[in-house]
Amino acid sequence: MPGPYRRKKTHYGDTHLQRRWRTRNRKRDLDQIDGDLKEENAEKLLNQEVDVDKPGDAQFYCLHCARYFIDDNAMNAHFKTKVHKRRLKALELEPYSIEDSERAAGHGSYIPPKKRKLQTQTPITEKDVIKEMELSMN
Amino acid sequence: MRIDTCYFCSSRIYPGHGIQFVRNDCKIFKFCRSKCHKAFKRKKNPRKVKWTKAYRKSVGKELAIDPSFEFERRRNIPLKYDREFWQKSIEAMKKIEAIKNKRQNTYIMQRLRKATELETQRDIKEVQRDLSLIRSPAAGLREKEKMEMEESIVEEIHDSDDEMNGNTRMMEVNG
Repeated sequence: MPGPYRRKKTHYGDTHLQRRWRTRNRKRDLDQIDGDLKEENAEKLLNQEVDVDKPGDAQFYCLHCARYFIDDNAMNAHFKTKVHKRRLKALELEPYSIEDSERAAGHGSYIPPKKRKLQTQTPITEKDVIKEMELSMN
Repeated sequence: MRIDTCYFCSSRIYPGHGIQFVRNDCKIFKFCRSKCHKAFKRKKNPRKVKWTKAYRKSVGKELAIDPSFEFERRRNIPLKYDREFWQKSIEAMKKIEAIKNKRQNTYIMQRLRKATELETQRDIKEVQRDLSLIRSPAAGLREKEKMEMEESIVEEIHDSDDEMNGNTRMMEVNG
């Protein structure tokens, strides 16, 4: 089967997206982020220690999107993007869990997911960062 | 023999089938076939994918809330073997299964019956709206026109009498 026919027909489902779906490239799931939103976890994630390996030394973290940014400017710009707003919307409903799947299979009655209002974390300005640095120095 | 449930479509997974994914927070996601595994990798939401049980229950296609669902549960407490208890529970399981199936079937039938009712209503509405396609609105028009013509002739006669009187009056004023 040489020629253009082979080129066309032997790569079914062979997309560039396949690389993104590999386990290695797995990003945080919605139910994991839902756990992060709890107060005790959120505080830890928002006030992380300086990690030189992470972008922006892990000082600029968006909770809902589970992403690090290089500076306050980049993060505040991100809060205005569609990606972030879409993520907020997706997190409004309680995320699907393993327990939900079991309930759907007939182990227990179905419980409708709850809805809630979400807001972006308060944007960080450069002054705040400097203040924190000074406090830690003292 | 343990029969697991699929994370994505909530179907049964028999031994030797499917694949499981252990996330780095120790949660185990079990999948019945590659279709479900792929959907999970693509981060699809089972509540929004129409062929999953989660969708069908959340939208009300199937019986979702019923006490008959409360029996089958994961209980993480080991039970000591007791022959009589074992036999009794197997009997009960059969009965519960039968009752559950009956209730689920009646739920679906009721839902479908409602649909036929709505369909008849919709049909009646459609016929009333598009009645002109069945019976022409101009069907009785000629007879009506004839009737109107006759009436108008009678009226004209009356009108002409009135005009004559009016004209004479005008003449008088001018004179």
